[in-house]
Amino acid sequence: MAELTWEKAAPADKKKITPIKPAERMKFIVGGVVMLAAVLYLVFSGMTSGAQYFITVDEMLSGSATYAGQTVRISGAVLGDTIQYQSDKLILDFTIVHIPKETGDLARTLHEATLDPAANRIAIHMENIVKPDLLEHEAQAILTGKLGEDGVFYATELLLKCPSRYGEEAPEQSFSQSQSQPQPAAPAQGG
Amino acid sequence: MLAEVGFATLIMALAAALYAIVASVYGELRHQEGYVLSGRNAALLVTALLTIATGALWLALVQQEYQIKYVWSVSSPAMPDFYRVTALWGSQSGSLLFWSFLMGVFSAGAIVLNWRSHRRLMPYAIAVMMAVIVFFLGIKIFIENPFERWWIMPDLPRDSQVISASIMPAGALTPDALLLAQSAQGLNPLLRHFGMAIHPPMLYLGFVGFLIPFAFAVAALASGDLSTNWIKASRRWALIAWLFLSLGLILGGRWAYDVLGWGGYWGWDPVENAAFLPWLIGTALLHSIMIQEKRGMLKVWNMFLMVGTFSAIIFGTFATRSGLVESVHSFARSGVGFPMFFFWFLMTLISVALILWRRSRGELRDEHAFTSIFSRESLFVLNNFIFVALALVIFWGSFGAPIVSELFLNTDITLGKDYFMQVTPPLFLALYILMGIAPLSAWSATSLVRLGRSLLVPLLLTLASVGLFAVGGMSTPVALVGYGVVLLAGWIAVYETLRGIIARQKSHPETVLHSLAQLYRRNPRRYGGYMIHLGVTIIGIGIIGSTLFQVETQRTLAVGESLALNGYELHFDQFDGQAISEDGRIMDIATMSLWRDGQKLATLRPRRDFFPQTEGMNSMTIAGAHSTLENDFYVLLVGWEALNASSATFKVYINPLVNLIWWGSFILILGTLLAGWPRDILPERVRQSRPVTLPRGTKGALS
Repeated sequence: MAELTWEKAAPADKKKITPIKPAERMKFIVGGVVMLAAVLYLVFSGMTSGAQYFITVDEMLSGSATYAGQTVRISGAVLGDTIQYQSDKLILDFTIVHIPKETGDLARTLHEATLDPAANRIAIHMENIVKPDLLEHEAQAILTGKLGEDGVFYATELLLKCPSRYGEEAPEQSFSQSQSQPQPAAPAQGG
Repeated sequence: MLAEVGFATLIMALAAALYAIVASVYGELRHQEGYVLSGRNAALLVTALLTIATGALWLALVQQEYQIKYVWSVSSPAMPDFYRVTALWGSQSGSLLFWSFLMGVFSAGAIVLNWRSHRRLMPYAIAVMMAVIVFFLGIKIFIENPFERWWIMPDLPRDSQVISASIMPAGALTPDALLLAQSAQGLNPLLRHFGMAIHPPMLYLGFVGFLIPFAFAVAALASGDLSTNWIKASRRWALIAWLFLSLGLILGGRWAYDVLGWGGYWGWDPVENAAFLPWLIGTALLHSIMIQEKRGMLKVWNMFLMVGTFSAIIFGTFATRSGLVESVHSFARSGVGFPMFFFWFLMTLISVALILWRRSRGELRDEHAFTSIFSRESLFVLNNFIFVALALVIFWGSFGAPIVSELFLNTDITLGKDYFMQVTPPLFLALYILMGIAPLSAWSATSLVRLGRSLLVPLLLTLASVGLFAVGGMSTPVALVGYGVVLLAGWIAVYETLRGIIARQKSHPETVLHSLAQLYRRNPRRYGGYMIHLGVTIIGIGIIGSTLFQVETQRTLAVGESLALNGYELHFDQFDGQAISEDGRIMDIATMSLWRDGQKLATLRPRRDFFPQTEGMNSMTIAGAHSTLENDFYVLLVGWEALNASSATFKVYINPLVNLIWWGSFILILGTLLAGWPRDILPERVRQSRPVTLPRGTKGALS
C-alpha cells in the first residue's frame, strides 16, 4: 500500500548561503551583457540580409518602385496553361494571378482567382530548377526573388501549396449520383 | 458501426477525463483518499477509451470503410496495406486522434510507474495530463472529428446533397459503397515513404512525452512539494521524450533528403523550426536540471525551461495546424487555430503565474549561490543561455518577425534562409565549445590550470586532425575552424571515456571492453552523456561538410553518354518508361552507372513516379544515390523526351560527409538509451552480482 503523507514537505534548510563576492558578481554581469549584445548584433545583422517583404501580386504591381531590385516573397495562384518547362535547360516559366483576401477555403479562393479575367497577373521566370512535383493549375505559389525591369519576376525559390490536399469538397459529388435522378443531358449548344 | 464506436468512446473519454480532474484535485484538497484513487482510475479509463477510439479508426482504415470521411480522404483501394496503417496520421483529424492516444499511453505509464514513488505529486499531475487531453478531445469532438461520415440528403439542391456528419441526419441516405471506393483519394504520394511513415509518430512521441515532465512540474508548483522530487519523477520521461524528438527531427530530415528532391535535409522552414524549438529548450532543460539535483540551484529557471519546452510544443502544434505560416509541411488551414492559440496562451499563463507565485513566497530559493565564473554551474548556465538564445532567434525568424510586422507595420516581412545561416552558426559553434569544456570543469570553482591540463591531450588531437584535413587539401579557413571546434568536443568525450577505462584498468583485472561496459553501468549518465556528445560531434562534422562543400551540376544526356564531376563519371545506360508498380504508380526510370578511376561503383536508378489516381500533387521525384562515408552521389531525373526517351536531363549533387549525420544519430540514440536506461530493469543476475547502495534520497525502486 502506498503511504500517504499529507503534511507539507519539510521546509528547505535555512542554512546560510555563501553570497557571491562583488568582484565575481561584476564578472557575471559584464559577461551577461557582452553575450546579450553579441546575440542582438547577430540578429540585427541577420535581419538586414535576410528580411524580405511578403507581398501579393497587386502590391507588387502597385508598389513596383518600392520593391524594384529588392528580394521579396510573392504569393499567387498558378495558371496551369502558362507552365512551360525546358527540361534540358532547367528553365521554368509560368504566370501567377493575384489571390484576393484568403477565405477559410483555400481551394475555392485559388479556383476563383484563376477564373477572374480582370485580376492582375505576373510572369515568373526561374532558372536552374527541377520542376517541382507540386506545380500545377490552381496551386498556390510562394516565390522568392526580384522583379526585373521587364516586369518579369525572376525567382530563385519556389514553395507550393496544393489545394487538393486541403479541400476535399470537389470530388465528393462523384458518389452522390447513385441515389439521385440521372443527370439531365446538357442543353444543346448553339441553334 | 466503427464510426459510432469511435465517436461514442471519444465522448466517454472526455467525460472521464473531466471527472478525473475534478476528483483528483478535490481529493487532494480535502485529503480524501477515495476521490484521489477514483480520479486515478478515471484517468486510466481515459487511456483505455482512447485506445478503443484509435483502434476503431485504424480498423476502419484497414477494412476500407470509405463512408468515414477520414478514411475516404486518406486511403484508396489500390493502396498497399502498410500505408493504410500509416494513414492514421496522414491528415489532420486522424493525427490529432493518434496524438491524444499517445498522450493517454504516456499518462497511463506515468500513473502506473510513478504512483508509489511520487504519490504526493500524482493528483495534480493527473489533473494536468487530463486537462491537456480534455482540450485535444474537445477539438476532435467539436471541430475535427475523425469519425464523420458522408451522407446524401436527397431533399437538398443537387450540388449540395453531400454532407458530412457524425450522427446520421434525418432523412439521409448512405452513399453507394462502390462509388465511394472509386472516388476515394488515397494517401498523399509524398507521404508514401518509409521515413514519412515513422517520422510523425516519432515526433509525436517526442512532443507528447514532454507532457509528463510538464505535468510533474506543474504538480510540484501546485502541491508545494518544490524539492527535486518532480525532477526525479520526470528526468527519465524527459529523456525518453527528448530521444523521440531527436529521432523525429532526424527522420524528418532524412525524408526531406530522400523525397523532396532538392539535395538537402533542413530548409529552415517554419514548421521544421517549430519542431526544433522544443528540442532546443528541452536540451537546455536536461542539462540544467543536473545543477538542481547536485547543487539545489536554478530552481526557478528549471521551472521556466520546463514550461517553455511544453509551451513551445503546443505553440508549434498551433502554428503547424492552423495555417499560421506558409510551409510545405503544414496541415490545412482549419478551425483549430483559435482554440489552440487560446489553449496555448492559457496554459502558459497559468504555469508562469504559478512559478511567480511560488517564487514570491520564497519557496524556490536556491541553496547555493554562484561563486566563480569558471565553475561547472556557470558553464552550464552559459550553455543554457545559448540554447535559449538559439530558440529565441529561431522563433523570431520563423514567427516573431512575420507576426510583428503584420500586426504593427502593416506589411508582411519574412526572414529567409540567409537570416538563419548568418545568425545560428556562431551560436552552434559556441555550444560545441561548451559541450567540450563544461564536463571538464569542477563544481563551484575550477582553476584554469586544471582545466588546461585536462584539455591538453584533446586539444593536441584536434590540432592533429585539423592538420590532417589541411594537408589533405582543405584550405577553407571557415571550415577548418568549424571542424576544429566540433572535433574538440568529440575528442574530449573520447578522451574522458578512455581515461575512465584506464583508471579502472589500474585497479581491476579485466579486459578493456569489460571496463568500458562497467563505466556505462556504474555511471550511465556521465558516460552515456559523453556518447551523446560524440554523436552530436559526428552530426556536426556531417552538417559542416554537406553545407559548405556541396557540389551540384545538371546536364542533358543521350543514352550512352556520360558526365564527369569531381573525378566521378556518370554513364546513362538505359531508360525505362511507364513501368507500372503494384500500387498503381507509373514509374519512369533511368538506369545509370557510376564510375571512378575506371572502377564501377554502383548502378543508380533515379526515377519519377506518377500516381494516376490521385488528384493534384500526383508525382514524385525519387533520387538515386550512392552513399559512402565520404559522400553521397545523388542524382535526380529531371526531365526526358516523352516519346522515345533517347535523352534525359539530370541534376547531380555531391554531398560530402552527409552520411555522418545519420551515423552520428545512431550514436546519439545509443548514448541516450545508455544514459536513461533504468537500473532496476537490469537482469536479476546483474543486480545480484553488485551490491547496490543507493544514495540518500534516491527512490528505493529495487523492491
